[in-house]
Amino acid sequence: MTKGSIVVENLVKHYPGDVIAVDGVSLNVESGSIFGFLGPNGAGKSTTIKILTTLALPTSGQAMVGGYDVVTQAEEVRRIAGVALQDIGLDPLMKPLELLSLQTRMFGASGAEAYSRAEELLALVRLTDAVDRRVGTYSGGMRRRLDLALALAHEPQILFLDEPTTGLDPASRRDVWEEVRRLNRELGMTIFLTTQYLEEADELADVVAIINKGRIAVQGSPARLKSDVGNESINLAFDDRATAERALEELTALGRAQLDRDVLRLYMESAAEAIPSVVNRLREINVNPISLTLTQPTLDDVFLQITGQSFREEATGNGPELAQGAKGKTRRGR
Amino acid sequence: MTQLTAQPGASSMPSQPKAGLLTQIALITKRNLLVIFRTPQALLPPLIISIFFLVIYESTLGEAAGFLPGLSGNSYLGFILPLSLVSSALSGSSLASQNLVRDIESGYFDKLLLTPASRAALLLGPILAGGFILGLQAVFVIAVGLIMGLVSATGLPGLLVVIGLAILLGMGFAGFTVSAALGSGNAAVTQAASFLFFPLTFLTASFVPLELLSGWLKAAARINPITYVLEAMRSLLNEGWDMAVLWQGVAACLILAAAMYALAVYALRVRTRRN
Repeated sequence: MTKGSIVVENLVKHYPGDVIAVDGVSLNVESGSIFGFLGPNGAGKSTTIKILTTLALPTSGQAMVGGYDVVTQAEEVRRIAGVALQDIGLDPLMKPLELLSLQTRMFGASGAEAYSRAEELLALVRLTDAVDRRVGTYSGGMRRRLDLALALAHEPQILFLDEPTTGLDPASRRDVWEEVRRLNRELGMTIFLTTQYLEEADELADVVAIINKGRIAVQGSPARLKSDVGNESINLAFDDRATAERALEELTALGRAQLDRDVLRLYMESAAEAIPSVVNRLREINVNPISLTLTQPTLDDVFLQITGQSFREEATGNGPELAQGAKGKTRRGR
Repeated sequence: MTQLTAQPGASSMPSQPKAGLLTQIALITKRNLLVIFRTPQALLPPLIISIFFLVIYESTLGEAAGFLPGLSGNSYLGFILPLSLVSSALSGSSLASQNLVRDIESGYFDKLLLTPASRAALLLGPILAGGFILGLQAVFVIAVGLIMGLVSATGLPGLLVVIGLAILLGMGFAGFTVSAALGSGNAAVTQAASFLFFPLTFLTASFVPLELLSGWLKAAARINPITYVLEAMRSLLNEGWDMAVLWQGVAACLILAAAMYALAVYALRVRTRRN
């Protein structure tokens, strides 16, 4: 079944000046799955997606999208693949139905077909209320949704989404996620998604690949990747760092301990069972934590292990949202 | 790796996978016009400038024109109005490229590149839309001329041919500014490039007939395509149907348009090179 699959073999992309953006990437995305492509900025994500969507040529290697070669069958690839790039390309002077029906007509629909399809797509991304407004007046989230609708105009079998929720507020991000899931579930669309939010990949993707320095570092289901990193952790927050340090001294025997300001993390297997002994030991030295939470490993931990850097530090300017994402994870882990 | 074998044809594709070339051109032209009319204030400066030139030249030189031997018996208005049309075509032609630059900057151009749109449609869309606007401008300039007392020696048909020449010439200029837009992707550079054509309106028989020019200016005017366009328009307005002069004017427009279109095709190829 090649119809909605993506097969990449040893893809290499050099840029002038000995820059190796992609260094032997191989991927296999099954038809009808959601694939999450993760990596720090400059790791080769965008270059890979540009090659797969026919906007750039590889230096060597082969990539088949829906059974078509991205180099020699670019036009066929464009016909079965929809693309929403990171930079939203919408003309601010145009209205949504004009953009959508032009896009649809370029792919061969008649005027009447295009118009009804445009209305359908607009309803799909819930922008019908904004039908009479120029795109220039849209919020970031609305623009993102319209861009998604545009990518769907020709009913593609494979959808490429390059950082679809970057810069969106949490509510709009959830909207986009819901949409992506629905497209995947109801239409069986294969979705290739790059993201800098680990939470996003965890929420959506069946399979995740992490790219670092142009190479795939690890590939697998989020659950498997997380279990590979291993340990759960007990997180203890204290009034101040001095208290946290005293607790660290006492508890370091129980597992691998890590101090981050006034929060102490203890990594161990079956952390839940260890909670009573942790509490007892703290009581013995007369230290009381403000809070105690239990965390299961996140993709953040996977990422940290592979790239040697925290994802939160990497995603500049999006700290608060990510921190929120991490909290959500903790709650679910309990 | 059995998946790595390419599918032989587009067998599973819908029967009408993309719009025909003419439909594509019509769609993109229509879309460009739509956007131009969303910012109608951009249409005003070229119009105002051409009317300004028309009024200023006519009132400062019109009286003296009777002493010019090449113009004996002719109206100076009919002589100077073509210059006004040409300069309006020049300034108006940058409208085509302004749309294109905006599309490149907004990323909408990439979006169109990901559709089956042909190169010809991507280029001709903005150029034809520019041509349509130039036609409107020419009608306006001629209307003002008629109010000022212009009498066409060839009547209404001649005026229509004059408008046609203005559109054709403007589309040649548009090909050049579109190339600048594709090459630079930058609004300021594109705007500046459109000024490069302005000297051409002076290195020609701008204010006096060709026979009265001398030396290097005469030589420059002889190889300047605008000279032949001006002569064709002037002959239509002041003298009558002189087919030889008319065809020279049409040929000059076509040669310029073809050369500039070729440049635009090259600029698009460079921009869309997948490296």
